[in-house]
Amino acid sequence: MAAVAMASLFVAAPSFADVLDNINSSKKIRVATDLGIPPFGMLDGSMQPSGSDVDVAKLLAADWGVELEFINTTGPTRIPNINTDKADVVISSLSVTEERKKAVDFTRPYSFIRTAIIAPADDLAKEWKDLAGKSVAVVRSTTQDIALTEKAPEFGFTVVRYDDDATTITAAVSGQATYVGLADPQMRAINERSPGKKFEAKIVINQFPIAMAVKKGETKLAEKLNEWIATNIENGKLNAAYKAHHNIDIPAEILK
Amino acid sequence: MSFDFSPIFDRWPMLLSGALMTMLLATAATALGFVIGTLCAVGRNSSYRAASAICAVYVETIRNTPFLVQIFLIFFGLSTLGFTLGAVTVAILALTINVGAYTGEIMRAGFNSVHSGQWEAAECLGLSRLQTYWHVVLFPAVERVYPSLTSQFILLMLASSITSQISVPELTGNANFIQGVSFRPLETYLVIGVIYFALSVVMRQAFNGIGMLIFPRRRRLGTAL
Repeated sequence: MAAVAMASLFVAAPSFADVLDNINSSKKIRVATDLGIPPFGMLDGSMQPSGSDVDVAKLLAADWGVELEFINTTGPTRIPNINTDKADVVISSLSVTEERKKAVDFTRPYSFIRTAIIAPADDLAKEWKDLAGKSVAVVRSTTQDIALTEKAPEFGFTVVRYDDDATTITAAVSGQATYVGLADPQMRAINERSPGKKFEAKIVINQFPIAMAVKKGETKLAEKLNEWIATNIENGKLNAAYKAHHNIDIPAEILK
Repeated sequence: MSFDFSPIFDRWPMLLSGALMTMLLATAATALGFVIGTLCAVGRNSSYRAASAICAVYVETIRNTPFLVQIFLIFFGLSTLGFTLGAVTVAILALTINVGAYTGEIMRAGFNSVHSGQWEAAECLGLSRLQTYWHVVLFPAVERVYPSLTSQFILLMLASSITSQISVPELTGNANFIQGVSFRPLETYLVIGVIYFALSVVMRQAFNGIGMLIFPRRRRLGTAL
């Protein structure tokens, strides 16, 4: 009896500091979003947060009837922000990986990020075999690099590696690289910097589901978020928020 | 801390092709850079003010700007102007232009070290300026600055690692890839450090061999000029 009472005490203990209760009692949700990765999160012309993740957070706060506070974060500090209770939930293009599952609890996917081979709009490449004899630029040892390095011998293209985003983007803008393997946000950066030459995605390399994340063990909050995501997949609001900023739909298989 | 070299050695074909690319860059830029540097030294010593001014501007510009800036200028600058060259071509071009400037100064020192009596003797024999350079001055000058030239060209081979920044798949570039996928930076860079060291030794020996071949005095007496 005593053992059961003790056990239930230990199980019950964390619920004293339940994040969901905190949200409900303070009438405020703190969302960690990186505002430096357009079009997921950015600052608009009047320095207000904007982007698809920002819109999702706004929808969520409005539906729950709580005040929304953005905790500005960078890529590497997204997870530490919730684990040190500086934020309640991460909504910041956080793709679901096995490594991260060990550190946080993920909700179901609400969004996605894809990597693709992009090329100037008038380029005719449509599928892998069109790349034979061509060079595809990537940032060294990224997921795109690894995926393309595997495919290169089969389809007869060469992988050309630069050390960082900036050099790769410069290579595309200056015309050194025609085909570039990268994620959508970098394509946007290229298109902003190269007037008169618009790049578009020609071949999708990979699609990664993006989910919200909460501190490990915050099951109640995760469940409530899952319900909310399910509702807003159903009514199309999540897809609309994504499409407004990315100009593409979220594939149905991602949201399953 | 445990060492694990297997992810690096498993990718030995990448290391080999990288080392070969490094040697290709070094050899091509050494040969071309030596020609450009020698012409530049002749130009700088020339009595034509324009030629000497052009060579001086070239040498000072290159020796007072970072190599990375030069290579980015050629690689991205030219293609922005609508003139796109491949990464390896740009790498050889940039390395040549760079080492040409340094070689120019070394060769100028070599030419100036040749005793003025030799210049006068050549003049008395009725040799033109270019004939004097070719038949009288060039070889003793090169022989005298040969150790400096050797060091400069080895530095050039080591500096070719910077061309990884414009996507040339040379030794450092390939090592960065291996490091990025294996997360073994210490082991990766230890291995390529050893490879670079070996390449330097090979290059030094090659220069020694060439020196023995073209400088009879060295071959016969074993002493430097």
